[in-house]
Amino acid sequence: MSTRAETDLALPRRRTRPHFGDLALRAIAGAAALTVLIVLILIAYKVTQQAWDAISTFGLGFLTSSEWNAVTNQYGARDLIWGTAVTSFFALLFAVPISIAIGLFLSELAPRRLRGPVGALVELLAAIPSVVLGLWGILVMGPFLEAHVEPFLIDHFGWIPLFSGTPSNVGLLPACLVLTIMIVPIVSSICRELFDSVPSELKAGSLALGSTRWEMMRGVAIPQVSGGIVAAVILGLARAMGEAIAVSLTIGGTARTGWSLFGSADTLASRIANQYQGAATALQTSSIAYLATILLVLSLGANLTAALIVRRIRRRMGAR
Amino acid sequence: MQRFRRSALLVFAAGTVVLAAACGSGGGSTTTVTAGNKNTASSKVLTGAGSTLVYPLVSQWEPDYATKAGVTITYGAIGSGGGIDQITARAVDFGASDAPLSADQATACKGCLQIPWALGATVVTYNVKGVPNNLHLTGPVVADMYLGNITSWNDPKIKALNPGVSLPSTKVTPIYRSDGSGDSFVFSSYLSAVSPDFKSKVGASTQPPFSTGTGAAKNSGVAASVQSTDGAIGYVAISYIAADGLNQALIQNAAGKYVTPSVDGIKAAADAVTTAQPDGSIPLVNPPASAAAAYPLSTYTYAIVPKSSPKAAELKAFLTYAITDGQAFGPDLGFPPLPSAVVSSDKTEIASIS
Amino acid sequence: MSADVNPLTVVTRRSRRRKRVGVLMEALATAAAILAIVVLAIVVISVARKGLPAINADFFTKNPAPVFQTGGGIKNAIVGTLIMTGMATLISVPVGVLIAIFNTEFAPPRVAEGMRIALNVLAGVPTIVIGIFIFGLLVVGHGQSAIAASLGLSIVMVPLIARATEEVLLLVPATLREGGMALGATRARTVITVILPTAVGGIVTATIVAVARGAGETAPLLFTSSIFANTVVTDVHQAMASIPLTIFVASAAPSVADQQTAWAAALVLMAGVLIMGVIGRALSLRTRRQIERAR
Repeated sequence: MSTRAETDLALPRRRTRPHFGDLALRAIAGAAALTVLIVLILIAYKVTQQAWDAISTFGLGFLTSSEWNAVTNQYGARDLIWGTAVTSFFALLFAVPISIAIGLFLSELAPRRLRGPVGALVELLAAIPSVVLGLWGILVMGPFLEAHVEPFLIDHFGWIPLFSGTPSNVGLLPACLVLTIMIVPIVSSICRELFDSVPSELKAGSLALGSTRWEMMRGVAIPQVSGGIVAAVILGLARAMGEAIAVSLTIGGTARTGWSLFGSADTLASRIANQYQGAATALQTSSIAYLATILLVLSLGANLTAALIVRRIRRRMGAR
Repeated sequence: MQRFRRSALLVFAAGTVVLAAACGSGGGSTTTVTAGNKNTASSKVLTGAGSTLVYPLVSQWEPDYATKAGVTITYGAIGSGGGIDQITARAVDFGASDAPLSADQATACKGCLQIPWALGATVVTYNVKGVPNNLHLTGPVVADMYLGNITSWNDPKIKALNPGVSLPSTKVTPIYRSDGSGDSFVFSSYLSAVSPDFKSKVGASTQPPFSTGTGAAKNSGVAASVQSTDGAIGYVAISYIAADGLNQALIQNAAGKYVTPSVDGIKAAADAVTTAQPDGSIPLVNPPASAAAAYPLSTYTYAIVPKSSPKAAELKAFLTYAITDGQAFGPDLGFPPLPSAVVSSDKTEIASIS
Repeated sequence: MSADVNPLTVVTRRSRRRKRVGVLMEALATAAAILAIVVLAIVVISVARKGLPAINADFFTKNPAPVFQTGGGIKNAIVGTLIMTGMATLISVPVGVLIAIFNTEFAPPRVAEGMRIALNVLAGVPTIVIGIFIFGLLVVGHGQSAIAASLGLSIVMVPLIARATEEVLLLVPATLREGGMALGATRARTVITVILPTAVGGIVTATIVAVARGAGETAPLLFTSSIFANTVVTDVHQAMASIPLTIFVASAAPSVADQQTAWAAALVLMAGVLIMGVIGRALSLRTRRQIERAR
């Protein structure tokens, strides 16, 4: 598909001198596009500038230290990186199979008339503001988990480190579940588009050879778009890592490195939201900006990777 | 080629112009809503931020002062640590903190006055199923609970203080402030004064490094956390006890008495400690044994204002209101009126603002 | 005899098992879709049930009451959200549409691809980092303001509008462009008088979706407009209350009245956002059909 506006007319080069309106529009539109790049660079610059005190004081040791002590003015991001990693990992673990399943359902299984409405409903999940999800998470889901789900898991599976600990209405588990709810609509809508884009000859061919619908999906559709699914998963990961509000409401805020899914923990984004304005010392404020820098690097990395994967896929498809 | 170069030049020119305009105008954008000139419109507004302890009092002042002086007070209760931060960055007109500025903070604030403008207290609260209100506790015992040395409510040390009360074996969950908090400062100062173990392991600050328990932001967060956790112990500003129906623990003071946190108990502490420190703060924590009726976790709370400010006139008027007429709202919220000696020294300080 | 057996209809144990697996997987996929809808229903119903009791005329027309007192509403937050989201829209719609025009009309293909990647990267920046950025840029030394908050919101909204507008512009058929130029109109004129009006439905949809997103964002407001008055503020140089921040702050409060306020505000926000989402989707379908017909 052409990425430039469709016009194949070869315009005569010997036009009258360029119309002022054309130049003006090109200039303004170009300026608007330039602002995007400028804003991106400014963001990186400003956040790193605010973090510079902490970066020069702690260096890369910041990433491996789990101190967070306003009295001795020592700070470290290890517990927060751990919290971010664990919540994102489990959120993806729950969300990816569900999203692929929903994508397959909407693309292949659902009766044609249902596809629109059901797709719309799933996307509405994405429209729920994160603060509302966080409110629901801490006041409804958290107590429910504490009263019914966590005791059950502890009693029956407590020997697994993940399920050790005592029930609590905050912690990694509620935060993971909230993140799952946020990621599923994103990943599933991309998956649905991917499955829709699989050439129907391939699907029909597989079915004609006698495979069941599931075998067709598993053997043809998914491998065909596996690159795209990876990109979608990375986008979901970026979303999960960067979510501050819903996580800060449900996770408890006491950073720790530990395997238990129950009980208070903290992530990079959530700590920034909780502590940036109330920091006790200038170095603490700068350390929190350092957390933001780490988060920025992680999200830039994830988004660029996803974009490059998509570009490679497009190139391969265009080459056919 | 010619056209491309020319249009590229135009793009950059336009971009630079747009950027320059955006940076230059800064606050001068007009909109359909009141595009007030920043100086005239905002002289009717004073912005402050900080302590959640004094917040209930300030929120009573807001409508009253608006009627009396026509000035809107905008107060953000983000915790004492945040208040110090904001006024240091001059992002607000005044800060509010229950913890006095440390030496480093005072230097960073570049000529800030700390003016005690209310008298309050931090109260130890708890939520244990089956345990009634007004439990007796001592500083060292509370310190042990926050150090993780006492882990269940039926510990012999707690039982010894409360002979008539049946205590369950519920686990002790200490709740503390996760943000920079004046209440944390008062609480940790007191525990450091009465427990050498606490002093060496945790120390006194607005964000003590508690090793066990759960953190919650702001007084409201701690209150909510205590209410929803069986076996919790926490500390909140005095107004939140009555308002949220929380239990209060009676802490034994230096004279050996278990004093109820109340206007009288705080007043007794203020009467006992009248000399100010060199930096202007008056610490009321752990008053001497001579003050038999003093509540040991009382505190002054301070307005932190820059000595020179573009809103000096409005600040002076507001602060004067706060330490005089404003004090009338105090007793209902647990704040006794300021002692007259403090009021007069405050007035001298306020006069020096320009 | 083997001649009587049609190999195509032989049902072996293996094919039975394959069929069972297939049915199971399809059931799981259906269950996943149902699960998503059920979760949506649970959240919406929870918020509605807990928020409705507190919704009354007072809620929309009164400002918050002083701490610990009951009564009062979120008038200042509603006004603040409307103003800040409105300003953000005024900034981001022109910028977003211009970026889309640049990508589709003026940019060489590789530049356009680079812009698209840049837009996706910008869209992926965590909103809390955007909050810190705007704080460092505009709030330090100057104080919080609705302008700073709106700029933060527009950084969130511009990529959404730009991407969606580009999609719609690309749908506009070549015949319209060529027709305009054949009549002697310049590029700019064609864009402004022919292409944009055709795509206006899509631009409106993109705006609605972006506004729904911007109205619900909390993180960009956290450092730029979080210290606000309990009265209605219309001066854009001051911080303003907002519905998301009101929910965020009230959610941590212990008193039942505060939690009720949080639920009711959440209901108002969610209802507004969901309704905008539904309208946006309906409009998007209608626009697509219109453009298809024009082909």
